[in-house]
Amino acid sequence: MKLPDGALAGTPLPHESFDREWALAELLGADEQADLAQRLGSLIGAPVALVAGTDAPAADDRHAAALKLDIEPLGWLSGQRAHADALDAAAALVRHILMARQRYKMASALHIESVHADYVALIDKHHALEASEARYRALAAELEARVAEQVQLIETRQRQLYQAERLASIGQLAAGMAHEINNPVGFVRSNLNSARSYVNQLAGALQAAEQGDAEAWHKIDARFVLEDFSALLTDCIDGIDRVAAIVRDLKGFSNVDRDEVGEIDFHASLGELCRLLKPRLPGGARLKVTGEAAHRLPCRPGHLHQALFNVLDNAIRAIAPGGSIMIRCSLAGGRQRVEIADDGCGIAPAALPRVFDPFFTTREVGHGIGLGLTLARDVILAQGGQIRLDSRPGEGTRVYIELPLEIVG
Amino acid sequence: MAEYDERARRLTLKLVYYGPAASGKTTNLMRLHDALRPELKGEIMTLETHNDRTLFFDLLPLGFRAPSGLLIKFKLFTVPGQVAHDGTRKAVLSRADGVVFVADSQRAQAVNNGASFDNLADNAARVGLDFDTLPLVVQFNKRDLPDILTTEEIAGRWAGAPWPMKLASALTGHGVIDTFAALLATLYARVAPTYGLDTEHGLGERDFVTAALGRPS
Repeated sequence: MKLPDGALAGTPLPHESFDREWALAELLGADEQADLAQRLGSLIGAPVALVAGTDAPAADDRHAAALKLDIEPLGWLSGQRAHADALDAAAALVRHILMARQRYKMASALHIESVHADYVALIDKHHALEASEARYRALAAELEARVAEQVQLIETRQRQLYQAERLASIGQLAAGMAHEINNPVGFVRSNLNSARSYVNQLAGALQAAEQGDAEAWHKIDARFVLEDFSALLTDCIDGIDRVAAIVRDLKGFSNVDRDEVGEIDFHASLGELCRLLKPRLPGGARLKVTGEAAHRLPCRPGHLHQALFNVLDNAIRAIAPGGSIMIRCSLAGGRQRVEIADDGCGIAPAALPRVFDPFFTTREVGHGIGLGLTLARDVILAQGGQIRLDSRPGEGTRVYIELPLEIVG
Repeated sequence: MAEYDERARRLTLKLVYYGPAASGKTTNLMRLHDALRPELKGEIMTLETHNDRTLFFDLLPLGFRAPSGLLIKFKLFTVPGQVAHDGTRKAVLSRADGVVFVADSQRAQAVNNGASFDNLADNAARVGLDFDTLPLVVQFNKRDLPDILTTEEIAGRWAGAPWPMKLASALTGHGVIDTFAALLATLYARVAPTYGLDTEHGLGERDFVTAALGRPS
């Protein structure tokens, strides 16, 4: 904002300075001078004249009384020499009038100068404030840009962490799955080996029979071979189906290509997850889903599966052989509630307040980077849900999760 | 800045007594008025006061004629010391040819002295005076009062300052002429070459100071 330039605020010209030499005409106007001279003339009884200037008017027959305000005359009162005393007295009177005028004029000129000085000081202050404001604006803009940059960096890092976590848990799952896949692969191969020997036997018997050996089929017990062959193939198909089911579950869990919001069958997802995790349970341990789970739940499927996996993974690591993990579901108030309770080792009270903190882990190096529950909480909060955790050492841990059935906003 | 009027054959020099409130600036002027005997001396013009404090300024005109006939005219001004009157102070300081800074020697006034001196430096810059070359004399006034800074303390605090330092008791008149004479000497050095005081007007430094002081009584 620019302040308007007022007439009073202009720089005083030299001739307006309060401390300048004042001329008679400035202190008394021409009319006033004439009026004063006439009245003084009446009093004295002879004409008098007011004359400006520092030097006395030269005239032999006249008396000039100096009008001196400081050390120099600024004018003269001149009249007939005969009236010298009266002229001197009149000059003293005029001097008083001039002094009063000069004081008034000086005060007013000084006032204008000081108002100008104050105004200039204000303008300076105003400019300084404007400059300072501009600096702060620039600083604020710069900070905003930096914050945006940092936020973007954090978001990128977070996405990378999600991805890394997911890949890590897929790796862990894969290790468990290997056994589950190896088992059917093993017996399918063994069955196929047997089948191949059956085929050889049947081929040999066929050749013998064609050459007239009436006992050929009997010799190899063809009826049993065919029955067993059929059973072997049925077993093989079952085994392949199991492998296919594992692969399907794993693919459903990983959902690598599904970061966008979608709708899942939560009931089916929990089943998938349990089947995937079962191989990793300690011996004799139970993992069970009870209660009511929604068939339509809006979420980011990849993220939600990851969150549930992380919570269940903790439970599996906490329980001992023969332990149990219960997943209790319920629907209430438009929300899906899930309680995941284990009877494992529990969490020490000192560690409890920090379980959701990033990079907080009680596990040994190489067994977790401390992001599991952090990610679970981020995912669940991001879709408007809640997560909390209760635990007592030696008694187990309960994780309570609530998810809205409709995504708001 | 000095005002040289060729036609009127007059050189006007503006001298300003600056300093914190109630440090004795007006008293300095009154003592000078009483004690100086220059060829020409006017009355002190006191524009306005409030509770004995200067509101606008005081003005003491002095003068003498150089051998050449040039009128050397001094206008001695005081500024209002109160912080609030900074605009007036600036206006009075404008165009100054020399400054006497009247400090208050009382211990309790040390901070005010410092603030006022900083204000002088700031305002000098604002009104376009070069503070480095401005003829300036610092006067420590009120030496007659108890609880004042000792001479050693003053010398210590102002060590390295390029300005002449004077002690005074303006109330009794002590040191007032001495201060003014010191200012006249530095003032002469500053203006003499510009206006040919020595060369054209036959006025040396000693004559300049003596004529301005007259025969002090």
